[in-house]
Amino acid sequence: MDQAETAGLAEAGALAGRFEEESSRVADRAAWEDLRLRWVGRKQGIVRTLLARTGEVPAADRRAWGQAVNTLKERVEGRLAELDAVLTEREREAVKRSAAVDVTLPGRRPLVGSLHPITRVNREMERIFAELGYSVAEGPEVETDYHNFEALNFPQDHPARDTQDTLFLKSGFLLRTHTSPVQIRTMLARKPPIRVICPGRVFRNDNDLRHSPMFHQVEGLAVAEGLTVGHLKGTLLAFLRRLFAPDVEIRLRPSFFPFTEPSAEVDVTCQSCKGQGCAVCSGTGWMEILGCGMVDPRVLDECGIDPDRYSGYAFGMGVDRVAMNRYGIANIRLLFDNDERLLRQVHG
Amino acid sequence: MLFSRSWLAAYVDLPDDVRALAGRLTAAGHAVEGIEEKGDDVLLDVEVTTNRPDCMNHLGLAREIAVLYDRPLRLPEIAPAEAAERSADAAAVEIEEEIYCPRFVARVVRGVRVGPSPAWLRDRLLSIGLRPISNVVDVTNFILWEMGQPLHAYDLDRLAGRKLHVRLARRGERLTTLDGVDRALDEQMLVIADDERPVGLAGVMGGLDSEVTDRTRDVLIEGAHFHRKAVRIAAKKLGLHTDASHRFERGADVEACERAVTRAAALLAELAGGTVLAGALDVRGIQAPAWPPRGRLELAKLNGFAGTEIPAGDVERWLTGLGFTLTPAGDPGAPAQTAWDVTVPSWRYYDFQTRHQAPHAVYPQDLYEEVLRVHGLDPIPAALPGIDGSDGPRTPQQALRERVRDFLATCGYAEAVHFAFQSRAADARFPSLQPGTAPQELANPLSEAYAVLRRSLVPNLVESARFNQRRGVPVVRLFEIGRAFFPPAAPNELPVQPEQVGLVCGGRAGFPWQRETELDLFDLKGAVDGLAEELGLRLAARPASLPGLLDGNTAELVRLDRSPAGELVGYFGRVEEEEGYPLFVAEIALDGLAGGDQDLRVDLPSRFPGIDADFTLTHALTTPWAEIDRGIADQAPPDLQAWSLKDRYRGTGVPEGAVNTTITFLYNSRERSLTQEEVNERQSALTAELSRRFGWSV
Ligand SMILES: [Zn+2]
Repeated sequence: MDQAETAGLAEAGALAGRFEEESSRVADRAAWEDLRLRWVGRKQGIVRTLLARTGEVPAADRRAWGQAVNTLKERVEGRLAELDAVLTEREREAVKRSAAVDVTLPGRRPLVGSLHPITRVNREMERIFAELGYSVAEGPEVETDYHNFEALNFPQDHPARDTQDTLFLKSGFLLRTHTSPVQIRTMLARKPPIRVICPGRVFRNDNDLRHSPMFHQVEGLAVAEGLTVGHLKGTLLAFLRRLFAPDVEIRLRPSFFPFTEPSAEVDVTCQSCKGQGCAVCSGTGWMEILGCGMVDPRVLDECGIDPDRYSGYAFGMGVDRVAMNRYGIANIRLLFDNDERLLRQVHG
Repeated sequence: MLFSRSWLAAYVDLPDDVRALAGRLTAAGHAVEGIEEKGDDVLLDVEVTTNRPDCMNHLGLAREIAVLYDRPLRLPEIAPAEAAERSADAAAVEIEEEIYCPRFVARVVRGVRVGPSPAWLRDRLLSIGLRPISNVVDVTNFILWEMGQPLHAYDLDRLAGRKLHVRLARRGERLTTLDGVDRALDEQMLVIADDERPVGLAGVMGGLDSEVTDRTRDVLIEGAHFHRKAVRIAAKKLGLHTDASHRFERGADVEACERAVTRAAALLAELAGGTVLAGALDVRGIQAPAWPPRGRLELAKLNGFAGTEIPAGDVERWLTGLGFTLTPAGDPGAPAQTAWDVTVPSWRYYDFQTRHQAPHAVYPQDLYEEVLRVHGLDPIPAALPGIDGSDGPRTPQQALRERVRDFLATCGYAEAVHFAFQSRAADARFPSLQPGTAPQELANPLSEAYAVLRRSLVPNLVESARFNQRRGVPVVRLFEIGRAFFPPAAPNELPVQPEQVGLVCGGRAGFPWQRETELDLFDLKGAVDGLAEELGLRLAARPASLPGLLDGNTAELVRLDRSPAGELVGYFGRVEEEEGYPLFVAEIALDGLAGGDQDLRVDLPSRFPGIDADFTLTHALTTPWAEIDRGIADQAPPDLQAWSLKDRYRGTGVPEGAVNTTITFLYNSRERSLTQEEVNERQSALTAELSRRFGWSV
């Protein structure tokens, strides 16, 4: 072995060690690229330079020289490929890491509005009565004395009218004080059997902390042959159990309304205390919820319905108080302030 | 109304438990609102309903208790020692208004010594909060609260001619009433007068001049029956409400007059040492309804009405106890009594109005009520009526309204509810869908703020938007569906009361995180356009100038797809007056949204890909989009499936007075894939035409 051969092989061996040392320090893609260019770059890569020097090696040594350089080349390329795979995997991880979001950030909700508490309660009542076979009847808010009073057996100049605090128009018409005129219009327009509910806005000349000059009622009317006080009770019970809870009970206290006889105020088991007695129900366990009665025969007569053949029952309740209880709205005036911060909380 | 337990106990044995008594009374229609112990006594606060004036005294309520507990009622003994001289010789009575005064009874007691009442009488009055005055006055008050008959005591010597006339007041007459107020009377007011002047307002209040005083020797006691209308007219006109008028207005007992006057005379003789003259002056006017009312009560029908079985014995005992007279009726051979002819007691005449067609005859339901009240409603079993099926579907108007409501809520609007009335100023501030009409005015408004019925929903909505703005709410979107009120179509008809839809919006919606938007006119119009699409109808905006809205930002909405075409159905615009962020409003007649295209079928999308093309047209600001839009529709090449406004730009590069409108076009064929070349060809022909027609030129 001559000097040159020995030096050439020794150089290849030293280069392998140097490559090992350099490649172990590669930490990122740029260093990897530097390494690649220095060792196997097309122009001045070390391996290429060694191959170019093959001609300078004596012929007898060429074979060994070639083998040594090739071994080095394979080693370098193999190692570069390994490092490339590691770096690629590392880069892929980095991309994933940078695309990650905080999934607990709030979502962008679609812009939705809301229905008024009164609408929600009205709809629920309409749905319940639809199940019981009732349709919805409506009528004007400005009414005649005849429909609002006279036909309902409120005679002219009778004290029963004093309780109604009526708002009148200069034209002589009035703002209906209840939705009962819709019952009259229904009975004048139709023949029994009749089953309707009459929801709507009503008005009283009353404006203080507890009263609003406008509020909402739902009244109901059924007229047919053979309707009884028991049917009135059964209907109210079915309605109130669907509206409040399946186990509520009712209590009827006879009272007086000009358009029904017998008339009654109806109490329902207090929903705050389930009948145990609490502040809401003044300890009685009952909440006054509606007024009802059998349609007065004078009203039937007035509407052209024979009271000797037909009977009927009617009932009426305030929607506002049900809505207030349901949504925890303490004061009726808040229902008509139209504060969006309140309105937009109303669901269900 | 306050009742003393010890006073009631004078007429009926009461149960020991006052709470049980209160419960029983409440269950029979006399709601006991309060129980208060007062010394040895207990006060019951009873809400006596307007149809039961007969229970507005202790004897009347005791009668109810006697029936409810099946106990005897003790009536006071009335048998005064009478002098030889007759009341009829000492005084006279003449009823000139016979319909207004069906009966007038008077007695004279001579030689009374006016002074304080004895302790028992003072205690009775004090127990229910009445102030004792003198034995004469106290006796009349006692009788009122015992029997319900209002009485009045006159100083006989101060009655001119010693004669009383029941007549209407004459023009210019005045009366100083017992409360010391000098009152002008008119010809609709019923008065009691002596031969010279009015001495009392019939059934309301006596006069000061004829009042019993310390020097009074001879007393005339009046116990009359006045028609409730007569009393109500005077009481209302003079703003007077007394214990007497309260009872007469609800209907007193025409047959109680004589008993009450005689009982008062007897008490007066006993307490004030007078002599009761013989007999009563008892003059009758006309009883307008045919009294007494009567009716047939059939047990089977009663039970059929109630939905329960009530024993015949209970019916007989209860009604008899309440004062009704029962005569067996029906088949005399029947094994059990099942029908009665019933006569109503005099203290219930007003509560038993007879049928129009049949004098005397009451509705049997009036009698059922009486029985059921005592029976109680709670024991009647609940049942559901057996009517099959449904009463009927929603009306088209109801269905439309609920669709609009749901749609607007889906669009982000919160539903508002406002009063139907507003101030005149608010009414005038904004447009109305029936311009030129006058608002409907209230005769007795709560205040000037509620003086007229709204002709538009917008003033209230703007007011609520301001309310929210002032409370720092950064964005407002409200809608309301409700009635507006317009003059009637013909005289004497009800006002026209159509339902309308109102909208208001403004402010900045959301934060940067939520991709905030500053709401403007087109956010509002978008809701209206969406609504039109949802309902299958075509609305067009027509620039307009309307009160309260900013010119150049206001339009009328017209309906294109319904005849008459171009019918005005609404408007929208920017509110001119600003406070904080600008507000945008719209109002549409609900009826203007009716009758949309009901065809529910959709256009099936093409299976082939479409090709987009954008085009920017520079044109005069004065050229409306609607015209360009129509121009595209007129020139639409084949397979142009849709186009939309993409952007509007004014600024650098756009000449003053012009605007860049970028429109995006979509070409798509149902049959095949279009080539880019053929689309380019059609698009350039179209855009050339658009530029020619609308393009900017100096
Ligand atoms: Zn409770």
